[in-house]
Amino acid sequence: MKIRTWRRMVKQGFQNVFRNRIMSLASISAIAAALFVLGLVMVIVMNINNMISDLESQVEITLFLKTGANSSDISSVEREIKSWEGIKDYQFISKQEALNKWKEEWGDKKYLLEGYHAHNNPLPDSFHITVQKPEYVDGIVDKASALTSVEKVQYSRDVVNTITRIASTTRLFGLALVGILVAMAMVIINNTIRISVYSRRREINIMKYIGATDWYIRWPFLMEGMLLGLFGAVISSGLVALMYSLLENRLSSPSPLEGNLLAIFRLLPLDQVIYPITALFVLVGTLVGMIASLLSMRKHLRV
Amino acid sequence: MIQFVNVTKVYENGLRALNNVNLQVAKGEFVFIVGESGAGKSTLIKLLLKEIEPTSGALFVNDRNLSHMKRKEIPFYRRGMGVVFQDFRLLPDKTVYENVAFAMEIVEASRKEIRRQVPAVLSMVGLASKANHYPGQLSGGEQQRAALARAIVNNPSILIADEPTGNLDSATAREIMKIINMINHRGTTVIMATHAKDIVNSMRKRVVTFHKGTIISDQEKGEYYFED
Repeated sequence: MKIRTWRRMVKQGFQNVFRNRIMSLASISAIAAALFVLGLVMVIVMNINNMISDLESQVEITLFLKTGANSSDISSVEREIKSWEGIKDYQFISKQEALNKWKEEWGDKKYLLEGYHAHNNPLPDSFHITVQKPEYVDGIVDKASALTSVEKVQYSRDVVNTITRIASTTRLFGLALVGILVAMAMVIINNTIRISVYSRRREINIMKYIGATDWYIRWPFLMEGMLLGLFGAVISSGLVALMYSLLENRLSSPSPLEGNLLAIFRLLPLDQVIYPITALFVLVGTLVGMIASLLSMRKHLRV
Repeated sequence: MIQFVNVTKVYENGLRALNNVNLQVAKGEFVFIVGESGAGKSTLIKLLLKEIEPTSGALFVNDRNLSHMKRKEIPFYRRGMGVVFQDFRLLPDKTVYENVAFAMEIVEASRKEIRRQVPAVLSMVGLASKANHYPGQLSGGEQQRAALARAIVNNPSILIADEPTGNLDSATAREIMKIINMINHRGTTVIMATHAKDIVNSMRKRVVTFHKGTIISDQEKGEYYFED
């Protein structure tokens, strides 16, 4: 087709959108809602993935010793640690030190821990190991777990696994919800196109007699569907950006109590999140609009 | 140029609209198709436009068997034909000029061609002064002129007219017939389905009469055939 014809198709697409505003508005809202939920899922998953890679690059392992480990147990563990490959640094933290540190961390709430003293200290002795490279983690964890006086080996991978599970659950339920919303949006767009075809039926009839090709007749409706999707994408990206920057502001000035809790939620910067999301929205939005439009035409536009 | 060979059309509801029709129309001919409602005139036109398929038999236009035509080719086939209807079928939100130009846009004519061709055709049908009027501002006769202009603007070799004077008074109908005759004189084959006895009788053209799906009379310089 000629460029002029394409321009005509786009223009007609816009005309169709504005001609039946109410239905267009319904379609755009529906697609925007579906994309917004998709955006939420993406925001969560992207941030969790970021958190995971942060954690994975941390190469710290904590060995908690069994309660009642005596000083010879402690020094035998220390000897073992010294013999392992890939150890960058290690530090012994006695149960008393751990309790003091705990009280320190709780600041003005430390009265809650006042009942704990040396004789009833619930905390174990532990070794904090820093590893040279993440590759050494697995070997060290294996060796440490084999030691008899070691109760538990904790390392970031445990946390990573838990967070990964959260991420994949979010993704699963989120995408199922997105699927339902997309289906709803498609039904609405489908109807919008049907009405549009109906309002242009005289024109379509004349075009057929004059010898317009099938696609010449179809394109304006396809454009209409794509434009509806595109508008929905623009609106939902705006909403996601707005929501994200509000959240960013909230997290960057936490109250003292929230401070500790939110420390691990280091959000990705807005621009790192919003560009891929907008790109995906535009792609998904126009695609959904296009498919809904094609389905509608198959049923209602006999060319 | 147009040839119906043993064409039968039976609709899905069992209605036998055309029964073993044989008809030949030469290039440049002017043929009236007459007959009462339900005689098969509309079916014949629909077959010619390839809106429907014959149940049996073959239909040739410009030596092409329409049954062998691919779906994709139909629009291009239709570009060789101009059609006018009883109800004009103009787009109410476009001016006369735009209605005619629309037919050229659809076949992707250049802007230059459109600017040259549309005024020429409008003045041919005597509507040059109303180019910027909307169909609603025109009389029935003027609307049919506009429809005729649209039908011939792409220079079709065949003009199909389905009751073109059905909504017009007799004086206006005669005006329209003058234009159709003029189009025919330029070399366009004209197939016109009509009820209008006066018009048929005054034109002295070939008349093919249908009755219940069969041709019961085919006369050169004929008259409207009466059934008793």
